[in-house]
Amino acid sequence: MKLTKIVAGAAALVLALSLASCGGTSKKIESADDLVDAAIGAQGGTTGAIYIDDDIQDGLLGEATLQEFKSGMEAVTALKQGKIDAVVIDNEPAKVFVEQNDGLKILETPYIVEDYAIAKDNTELKDQFNQAIAELKEDGTLDQLLDYYINKNEEAQPYTSPEGIEYDGKLIMATNAQFPPYEYYENETIVGLDVDIARAICDKLGKELEISDMEFDSIITAIQTGKADFGAAGMTVTKDRLENVDFTDSYTTGVQVIIVKE
Amino acid sequence: MDFFQIIGDYITKAAQGFADSFYQNFIEDNRWKYLTSGLVNTLLITAGALVLGVVLGFLIALIRTTHDKTGKLGFLNWLAKLYLTVIRGTPVVVQLMIVYFVIFASVRINQVVVAIIAFGINSGAYVAEIFRSGIMSIDPGQMEAGRSLGLNYRQTMWKIIMPQAVKNVLPALGNEMITLLKETSVAGYIAIRDLTKGGDIIRNRTYSPFLPLLAVAAIYLVIVLILQALVGRMERRLAKSDRN
Repeated sequence: MKLTKIVAGAAALVLALSLASCGGTSKKIESADDLVDAAIGAQGGTTGAIYIDDDIQDGLLGEATLQEFKSGMEAVTALKQGKIDAVVIDNEPAKVFVEQNDGLKILETPYIVEDYAIAKDNTELKDQFNQAIAELKEDGTLDQLLDYYINKNEEAQPYTSPEGIEYDGKLIMATNAQFPPYEYYENETIVGLDVDIARAICDKLGKELEISDMEFDSIITAIQTGKADFGAAGMTVTKDRLENVDFTDSYTTGVQVIIVKE
Repeated sequence: MDFFQIIGDYITKAAQGFADSFYQNFIEDNRWKYLTSGLVNTLLITAGALVLGVVLGFLIALIRTTHDKTGKLGFLNWLAKLYLTVIRGTPVVVQLMIVYFVIFASVRINQVVVAIIAFGINSGAYVAEIFRSGIMSIDPGQMEAGRSLGLNYRQTMWKIIMPQAVKNVLPALGNEMITLLKETSVAGYIAIRDLTKGGDIIRNRTYSPFLPLLAVAAIYLVIVLILQALVGRMERRLAKSDRN
């Protein structure tokens, strides 16, 4: 039957096409300078992606291309599979990704250093948040949380709300829970440094914390349009973002690092 | 007088705000280029997937109807049914990511090619059922008439059944083409800069959702209108031989 031949031919064509599109060699990257002409991955909407995009447009990275994935995890998967040469991402999630995946390493030279803060769209609330952050810094809660989540000190404890606390209303926090150790899922609940800090702040304000998990690039829009009261997602303060939302004082610093294959 | 002045001020302010926002979202840093390059990718993926989908769908429909009419091609028919079940039973965005991260694991491959393959295979399943319904809609008397005039099965299929079937399914095919265009908006999941992603990138730089989203929606709408006009023209041309 001729139809069988047509089907077999079509199958062979698809196979040949897919094989022909294979190949392409990955680029060896030893430092930030080697990012020139490389295929670079990042999570869409993060400062890592924005800085790389700006540098490409300014002609600093030659023929480099930027691929913006929905999450850092997917960018790392693509890197492992050799689809891209490097991933630019915040230091702490980078450590978790490298720990969980063999054959990856973080370059010693960071791409850029930056400040993390909580984004808001309400000046009154911002002042209350800043005061709460100052108090948390003073009474050692913040250090303890950094010790627990960032330094992985086994003696440190995560935050727990004081017993018998009564809430008057709630505050909605927008986040993207794919960013360990700042926010991630554990036993079907969202935990992490940002979540604990936010909960500690809300407890101080007598408000119940409600978390809304969304795509990272929707967080600022959600705050602007009143769908969330504030955003906490390892967010860096940038000039463009400041034009549209307020940021609290910085509670920790982050580093954009480069992950490559070993 | 005061009233008109207030209204006038308000309109001037709104216009100024719109102009500022327009400048920030599209003109500054040549941000409109995200939309145009995204549109090129969207059209490339749609066109490629459409060709692949029609070829695949046509073959599958032929296999299925030939089996129904003659009882031959049992194994191929089983395979076609399996394909239809799996593809129509899973979401296209999941299929896209499976093709990229699982089937093409460990391969550096142009993502647009991946998207064409994924969307083409997906569309093929729906096109197959459209073609099959078209072939089945032709009266069995047409086949009998062809065969009794001395044409063999394949000749009857090609010269008598198919021309009528294709004409019948043209509106449904046009619909599938429009659906396909809009479905490609999930291409951003495998880091393709398509039209939707282009708008997302602008939103990520400017943090104003209003104009980028509306612009993206408007561009899709214009493309769909163009496609509709093309299908309508084709339908009218094929209808020329109809008796009125």
